[in-house]
Amino acid sequence: MNTAADAQITIQLDGQPHALAAGTMLAQLVAALGHDELAVSTAVNGEFVARGQRAARVLLEADQVLLFQPIVGG
Amino acid sequence: MMMNDVKSDVAASDAWRVGEVSLDSRFLLGTAGYPSPRVLAESIAASGAQVITVGLKRQLAAAGDNGFIDIIRAAMTEHGARLLPNTAGCRTAREAIQLAHMARELYDTPWVKLEVVGDEYTLQPDPIELVDAARQLSKDGFTVFPYCTDDLVTCKRLLDVGCPLLMPWGAPIGSGQGLINPFALRTLRERLPGVVLIVDAGIGAPSHAAQALEMGIDAVLLNSAVSQASDPVRMAGAFRQAIEAGRTAYRAGVMAKQDFAVATTPVTGNPFLIGG
Repeated sequence: MNTAADAQITIQLDGQPHALAAGTMLAQLVAALGHDELAVSTAVNGEFVARGQRAARVLLEADQVLLFQPIVGG
Repeated sequence: MMMNDVKSDVAASDAWRVGEVSLDSRFLLGTAGYPSPRVLAESIAASGAQVITVGLKRQLAAAGDNGFIDIIRAAMTEHGARLLPNTAGCRTAREAIQLAHMARELYDTPWVKLEVVGDEYTLQPDPIELVDAARQLSKDGFTVFPYCTDDLVTCKRLLDVGCPLLMPWGAPIGSGQGLINPFALRTLRERLPGVVLIVDAGIGAPSHAAQALEMGIDAVLLNSAVSQASDPVRMAGAFRQAIEAGRTAYRAGVMAKQDFAVATTPVTGNPFLIGG
């Protein structure tokens, strides 16, 4: 029988602890953070996760998630 | 043929290419560090640049971009500009490869300015990681613009692994020192004829850019020299003129240097008869 604690995981979001419901997909995290899905790129554990794969990428305990947005550059 | 016809013919034949893409401007401009979005937009317009560099940043929550995306979209629409995303901040091939894939998705372009830094003090590219990353990204379908040193052998290796061009530094990024090793750049030009060479980084003044173009460098990429000027828009125009002048001078053929004076006026003997 699952407890409430079992239903939560903690990922590292840009290096900071971030609690999520177990089973959360990467696409759901992107939306929960308020991003337009077209406005960010994502990586999990240092590997690029393409936009079309986010809905199928379940986040796991201790996953390291990075989001990137456009910025000025030289 | 009238003089204007000659000028038109020269201009029409001087496009350069990146793969199938033909470019007229030899000025690639960075978008960082401008005093305001409006100045950035006006600087891009004044530069005539057809390639503008952009970056990626880590971002947690959704946030505004200060109009940046609208500016680059306008540059693409109004000036036909193309985007060149960079991999700034990467220290390993693995990092750079992942960031390049994210840039391709975000900016919808296979072009990438590949930066893999190997030294924090000079921001000198790491040649080993750079070649490794360039090899993989070329296999992955990217058009790799490698930011590299002016080392000839490293440059050859970058071409070997699929880079269609090279971007040797003029001096460390943001230093404004100009071309600190003209010999190395001339060597690249001499040993790699036909390869597109873009001097990237270290240019501080329009004269530096003109010097690069005069020696046969195909184009220059710069950012701080414009964005940090007192009047960036005017400086963008100054660089545009210098780059065009340098290129025209190269095509016209700069005279060979001489060790000693060579009389210009065609007098014979003494100009005056003195004495009797």
